[in-house]
Amino acid sequence: MVTRKGDNVALKNNTNGLAQAREKSTVKAAAVFLFPALFLIAVYMIYPIIDTFTTSAYSWNGISSDKIFIGMKNWKTLFTDMTFWSSFGHNVVVMVFSILLQIPIGMLLATFLDAGGRKFNLFKVIWFLPYLMSSVAIAFLFSYALATNGGIFSSIASMIKGGKVTVDLLGRNPHALFSVIGVMAWQFTPFYMVYFIAGYGNIDTSIYEAAVIDGATRGQYLRTIAIPLLGPIFKTACTMSLIGSLKYFDMIWNMTGGGPAGGTELMATYMYKLSFQQFNMGYGSCVAAGMFLLITFIALVFQKIFVVKEDY
Amino acid sequence: MKKKFVSIILAAALTGTLLAGCGGSGTDNSAASQPAAEEAPAESDAAEETPAAEDAPAEEASGEEAAASSTEGKNLPELTTEPLTINLWDIATEGSSKDIQEAAVQRFMADYPNITVNQVHQQNDNYKQQLIVAMSSGQAPDMYIHWGGGPMNEYYNSGFVNDITDMYNTYDHPDFIDAAVAQSSYDGKILAIPFGGLSGCDIFYNKTIFAEVGIEVPKTIDELEAACDKLVEAGYVPFSLANGSKWTGSMYFMYLVARHSGNDEFDAAYTQENGGTFTSDAFIWAGEKIQDWVKKGYFPEGVNSLSTDDGQDRALLYDNTCAMMLHGSWQTRSIQDDNADWYKENIGVFRFPEDSEAAAKGVPQNVEIGTAIGNGFSFNCWNEDGSVDQTKLDACYVLATQYYNDDTYNQEQLASTTIPSIKGFDQQIEDENMKVVAKVFFDASNVQLWYDQYLPASVTEVHKDCMTELFGLQKTPEEIGQAHDAAMQAALAE
Repeated sequence: MVTRKGDNVALKNNTNGLAQAREKSTVKAAAVFLFPALFLIAVYMIYPIIDTFTTSAYSWNGISSDKIFIGMKNWKTLFTDMTFWSSFGHNVVVMVFSILLQIPIGMLLATFLDAGGRKFNLFKVIWFLPYLMSSVAIAFLFSYALATNGGIFSSIASMIKGGKVTVDLLGRNPHALFSVIGVMAWQFTPFYMVYFIAGYGNIDTSIYEAAVIDGATRGQYLRTIAIPLLGPIFKTACTMSLIGSLKYFDMIWNMTGGGPAGGTELMATYMYKLSFQQFNMGYGSCVAAGMFLLITFIALVFQKIFVVKEDY
Repeated sequence: MKKKFVSIILAAALTGTLLAGCGGSGTDNSAASQPAAEEAPAESDAAEETPAAEDAPAEEASGEEAAASSTEGKNLPELTTEPLTINLWDIATEGSSKDIQEAAVQRFMADYPNITVNQVHQQNDNYKQQLIVAMSSGQAPDMYIHWGGGPMNEYYNSGFVNDITDMYNTYDHPDFIDAAVAQSSYDGKILAIPFGGLSGCDIFYNKTIFAEVGIEVPKTIDELEAACDKLVEAGYVPFSLANGSKWTGSMYFMYLVARHSGNDEFDAAYTQENGGTFTSDAFIWAGEKIQDWVKKGYFPEGVNSLSTDDGQDRALLYDNTCAMMLHGSWQTRSIQDDNADWYKENIGVFRFPEDSEAAAKGVPQNVEIGTAIGNGFSFNCWNEDGSVDQTKLDACYVLATQYYNDDTYNQEQLASTTIPSIKGFDQQIEDENMKVVAKVFFDASNVQLWYDQYLPASVTEVHKDCMTELFGLQKTPEEIGQAHDAAMQAALAE
């Protein structure tokens, strides 16, 4: 027994040693493989975030060597800055309408394509095209399309009414904000469409087969099995749309520049103007830091309310 | 099969985002990395050059030999014979301006083979942002273009502009017109060398439509309004304005203020001292005039959504919707580029009409709006220890005053209907309209730089937004003045 026990111990020690060695080498390998990613994240994400918060405590024009420490003064200004809060309001409007437009339409298109099968492949490609275009190109495309002189809407209106009619979509408030929301929906709906197509693809075919054997029609299958199974994907999509619309910048910047008269000003465009056009990098950083906090807070609350579980 | 398709689509989505990423920030990245890459060697060059400054007197003899035809016999600083690199940023990305400016640099480098000029053409759209990023990261160019005004002062205060007053007074330079020197100066110091030629601001009009409706070129604002009423009656929109760009609408506002009060009220409002305010008589009057004109249909519908960057205001002239356009004189070049024959046949120009009531009160009617420096070069040559890198500064000064602004350069500028801001060149321009522009400019008692260049940057944003609200009838002139005052006071307090 003793010997056996000793054997066992020896064996156990042996395996332990091996396991330890293996564990060590795994740790090393993990460190080697993780380092590049962690390094890049540290340099390009964590450091800028920290630096933004530090800069927000200074009065600095962005180029001068003298940065003046002013503590929380920028933050105090931020709390009472009506432009910032109205920009935030615009962001919230954009967020609500993005979720209400992009996700249901994306889901409808995906459902249509999933039900249609291969004969709708052409639609898949065509509907996906907007998402492949760069935001700047879309901005220019639509600033021409929505123009009062020779734009699509003005031309169609003129044709119907006979005689020159001007449909001013970007030059008035609140029309401009909603026009921009429409363009954003045009741009991003394809992304959610693909997202939901992938979701449908992920549902095990055996579930479909079982449903068909049990006598379910295609419609019943979609309504009672497929769509409920998409639930988690739906929540993730909402979170992505929410964060995306809160930090949105490029297309709006190129299309309206925040105008007319601040009617489409978002937090990000306001931040950019302060930092790079008005020589106010300190306060611009404060706006950026404020944005960071607000977006994180809203996203966390959203996650708490609609617990997202990827459990299938 | 389906899964495969989905994965293909997802792969496409990934590439799409990558592409979009490149597209969105491509210009930024490439532009930012390019000068950075090109500037890296320059830094080391600059460091090597520092001792050369001390050697300069010893090298004088050979320096004189190197001095070339275009600088011969002129009182100029001796340039180094050691290798030297100058980093130069401009915004001449295309067309004749690119050729003209590259040729100037080539002439300089041919005469001084030891000096290399790194001429980087930046995109105009995000040039100012590029410059700020470069300055804050220690990568700022040795000489760079700007438009004078508030930003130039900001660069100077932050230590990115060499004060060249002494050099300017000591050495030769082109005989710039007074307005150009004034707009290149700040706080009594000369900070820039103009090279872009002057830009006036006048009313371009369609001669054919004027003849058809039977109106003469208006001399006073009352006559202008009468002409506009006739045009409206005849079914034309009097003014073509693309106010999406905001500084375009500002031209009407600036001119009305200038005609009603000369420079007095604006200068007072700028300092906010001695009762100066943007709610004073001339500003309210100008705001009310504009809103009255909007209501009477003098401007196209949807004026705030048209953008001049896309030439939408010119388009309204071309399709005979509008009869007049108050704009910068560079439009002569743009319209000719679009259709030279149409330009010759139809386009005339007149100066902004006078305010007869104000004239009766003795308000000068020859304060004009525009820019006399067009573009200026400022120099940013410093040693590591913060002292002036005189070797490099001398080279930059010679390049800007003798190669830009030399005879070849100026003739080429004239050929592309740009008037150099140098005395005597108003006589040499051939284009009929540009002759008028030049005359207006040279007869001016004062040339007020565009408000959106002249005002501090934070006030500029407010001013531009106010122009949207003014033409959109969203705010009263009174409210607009108050917004200007608040922004101006905040800027002055800084």
